[in-house]
Parts: sequence; C-alpha cells; structure tokens
Amino acid sequence: MNAAVQVSNLRRVYKSHIGAFRRKVKEVEAVKGISFEVEPGELFGVLGPNGAGKTTTVKMLTTLLIPTSGTATILGYDVVKQADAIRPRIGFIFGGERGLYWRLSGLDNLKYFSALYQIDPAISKQRIPRLLELVGLADRANEKVEGYSRGMKQRLHIARTLLNDPEVLFLDEPSIGLDPVAAREIRQVVRDLREQNKTILLTTHYMFEADELCRRIAVINHGAIIALDTPANLKRFARDLAVVEFQVNRVTPQTVERLKGLPFVDAVSVEEREQNSLVIVQSPRGSEAVPDLMAQLNGSAIQKVSVREPTLEDAYVRLVNQADETEDG
Amino acid sequence: MSLKYARAVFAAFRMTYLSLVMDSFFIFATLLMPLIYALIAFGILRDKGAHYGIYVAIGSGLAGLWSTLLFGSGNAITSERWTGTLENIAALPTPLWVIVFGKTLASTLQSLLSMMVSYLLGWLVFGYPLTIAQLPEFFGVLFFGILSFVALGLMLAPAFLLNPQIQQFQNAMEYPVYILCGFLFPVALLPFWTTPLSYVLSPFWTARALQSAAGGTLTLDQLAFDGAMILALGVIYLGIAALLFRVVLRKARVDATLGLQ
Repeated sequence: MNAAVQVSNLRRVYKSHIGAFRRKVKEVEAVKGISFEVEPGELFGVLGPNGAGKTTTVKMLTTLLIPTSGTATILGYDVVKQADAIRPRIGFIFGGERGLYWRLSGLDNLKYFSALYQIDPAISKQRIPRLLELVGLADRANEKVEGYSRGMKQRLHIARTLLNDPEVLFLDEPSIGLDPVAAREIRQVVRDLREQNKTILLTTHYMFEADELCRRIAVINHGAIIALDTPANLKRFARDLAVVEFQVNRVTPQTVERLKGLPFVDAVSVEEREQNSLVIVQSPRGSEAVPDLMAQLNGSAIQKVSVREPTLEDAYVRLVNQADETEDG
Repeated sequence: MSLKYARAVFAAFRMTYLSLVMDSFFIFATLLMPLIYALIAFGILRDKGAHYGIYVAIGSGLAGLWSTLLFGSGNAITSERWTGTLENIAALPTPLWVIVFGKTLASTLQSLLSMMVSYLLGWLVFGYPLTIAQLPEFFGVLFFGILSFVALGLMLAPAFLLNPQIQQFQNAMEYPVYILCGFLFPVALLPFWTTPLSYVLSPFWTARALQSAAGGTLTLDQLAFDGAMILALGVIYLGIAALLFRVVLRKARVDATLGLQ
C-alpha cells in the first residue's frame, strides 16, 4: 500500500539578515533531514518541545514552505512540483485563535472558505450544517467569531479544515492554550475523525494527547527525529526507570543541578505550580533512591513523596535529554 | 473553472463587504467624510459654472478611486496578515489573485458609494448639478474602467506578499498615476516622453472617455478606441498580475514570509 505521506531527508534552513549596511546572513537549520511515512488511515503523531521543527515540517507538507532539500509527497504528489494537486485533497490547522475572520459569524466563515475550496454550493449547503453539528457549534453558528471562546474558535478551525472532505489532515497543536474541558472536546473530535479513517498527522507537545490518540509517534528535537515507534514501544525507553516525585514548597536551580549530578539519577525536571513545585526524578533505583534524594532536597520543605511507573512523558524526557547530551558532547 | 473562480470572487467580495459594514468606521468613511469633502470642493467651485464642476468631479473621483485601489489591493493582503489568514488562503485551490480581485472590488464599491454620496450632497445641499451629456456611454465606460482599474491595482498587490514593510511605499505610487492619467491637469502639459507611459495606463483612457461623455463630445470612433484600450489593457494587467502572484508566492514560500505580520 502506498504511503499517504512520505517524507525523505526533508531539510529546511531559514535565512535572516543582520545589520543595516554590511548585512550578514544568519542561517538556522530548523529541520535537519527527517524521514518518515504515514500510512492511509493512520493517526501519526509528531511530538517535540517548542522550536523542535514541528510547525516547519507541517508547513512544508501543506505546501506553505518550500524545503531547502529532500522530498515529500502527499498521496503521491510532490509538495513542491504538484502543490496544486495537493491543496484540494488536504486540510490543515495551526494552533491558536488566529486564522479566522472575527467580524463575521462562524457560518459566514465556513461559507467563505467553502467557496474558496471551490465546493459545489449544493454540497456546501448540506455539509456546513453537518460540520457545525460535528464540532458542537450549530446553535452558535450565527454569532460573530469575536465572541467565541478559544475552544470554540479551535472547533471552528476544525470544521473549516473539513469543508473539502480532505483525505489527509494536518493538525498542528490543535489543543494548545485550551482549558482541559475544551482540549478534551478537541481530542474527541480528532478521535471521531480517526474513526472515519482519515489520515491524520498531529503535532503536539502534550504526551498524554499523543499517547491517547496516535498509532505511531515520531519524537522530534532540534529538527531531527530521535525516535519513531508506537506509544507502547516508546514507553520501553524508560522501562528500566522508576519515577520519584517530590512535591516541595520551593526548589532552587542549584538543588536541581545537585540532583542531576547524582550517579543513579537519569533525568530531573521541575513542574512549577501555583502553590508549590513538583520535582520529577527518573532513576533505575526507584524507591531505594528516595532517602539519598531527600538528603539533597533538604531545605525545600517536602510536602509529599511518591514513586510511580514511567509514562510516555518520562520516555520522552529521557529521549530528549539523551539527544541534548549527544549534541552537547 | 471560470464559474468556480466567479463564485470565489463573489465570496471574497461579500466577505470583505460584510467586514467593512460591520465596522462602525464604515459609516464615517461612507457618509460623513464625503460630506466634509463636498463642503470643501463645492465651496471652492461655487462661482465656476456647472460645466467646470463635472471635469473636477471626474478627475477627483478617479484620483480617489485609484488611491482606494492602491490601498485596497495592498490592504487585501496586509489585512490577511493581521488576521493570520494569509497562510490559510495561500494554500487553497483558488489562486490568491482571484481572492484579492474580489476583495479589491469590495473596497472599490465602498469608494464609489462614498463618491456618489459626495456628488449627491453637492447637488442636494449646494444646488450644484453635475450634468452628464451622454449618460449611457458615461456609465458604460465607468463600469469597464473600474474593472480595468482593479486589474491595475492587482499587479501591485504581489509586492505585499514579499514583505509587510512594503506598505510604507504605497503613498509613492499614488501621484505618478494621478499625473500620467491627467486626473489633476491635462497630460498635454507634460513633457512629450511621458506620453507612452500615459498610454499604457487604462485610467488615462477611462478619464479621457469619461470627460468626453460628460461634455457630449464622445464620438462612436473614440468610444470604440478608448473602450478597446481599456479592455485590452485590463486583460493584459490581469495576465501579468496572475503571473506575478505565482512567481512572488513561490518566492514567499522559499523566504517564509507568508506567516510574517
């Protein structure tokens, strides 16, 4: 079976000019020769931190950017030479509220994009109400978009991207900045689309989202793919680890560095919360490491300690740390 | 294909017009500003006689129309940058120049409405009749002249895809057309070498035919010749605009300038 999306050694360099008179060209390699395939009907995840190259990759695949080198095909069509053949067959959204006409109603936005997608008016007339129903905006369709919540705007984006009944969908961080309820609604819509056998490439930096939705995940960091596998197999990267979590009042950067320096510690990350901080330590010693770790956290006012099994997020943190260390070394 | 493009042009026209109408500034721009302009213009023309008024009205009307088109076609792209929709519409099956054409038509209609309100006020408030001797010819030339104008504005729009900063140079493109097309004074006053430049601008032929039609001196021969020039130049502009959009869009995809604000 031919791949719906085929990417081979794709590379993208951004050039910018510095200085007014003696202008120097500064080059940034955002995507460093990545390769992967997405099968028809697959929900494929691209997971990575901010600035990893996820959006640049999606923009190249949706014909918005021309790759510096390498090739990519969508449904067999080349993204550079056959962009006109690709555009009617794909849909894409980029995370965030922008990209809609706020002064118009949700319905008018969809009617407008439908005409630009050159969809037969008779088909649009049936499809638009169905899409509004699918994304739960049927009763607010005649209101101006400027009055919509962030989640509603994102759902309208999804309706927009389905107007042409695309064969391949590119969803770039669709749940970014949404509250938990709105993000859950978006994930439900994505799940529904997966049921309809759409080929979907989803980028996200939310691990649970990728874990819950994707059949395979490519982990991308600094423009390179550092792992590509099923969520279950990716979790095995961290199976020899246990995760110790300390809920503390405060933690200094010096303490974090001390923890990282311990020979039995694999990785340390800190989640800042409103009332306290969560120090997450990965170590193969698990609960046995707790007394030594607590000794290092002396003065951080520990409120709670727990030991748990590794998740996809832990595997991801380990992968990214390993990749960073390799790059630095 | 052409029916799909026509639908897209209408959709872009409708969307832009709805956005304009939703803006409270629209009322100011369409009704109050023309009132101010009418007060000034017709105050100056008070003792000049009715015949003089129509020449000034055509010249200033076309000058206003060109400014609207120049800013309208550029803003058609700049406004998409502000709303973050430029990338969404640049990767659609409908070519971008078709969308910008529809959007520019909408700003032209607003400009025309504003002008009509202005002339109507001059007539009703100041009792200054604008006499047009050959009415059907006048409006026929005006209709095709406007379409040709829009196509001329469309040729400049691709520059706005390359860099949002290009807006700073918009003003510099206003006066060359005013002068070369005889909006402000007759082109006979210009040096001889500028004449070919006037001939390749469709607004020159539009202004010439409109002034003749208003004065009742538009012969069938002149109508056929000026009309053919307006249409031919309009088609050439459209062809060049479509080509420029294609070339510039490709460059914008290489330079990654579509997502800039």
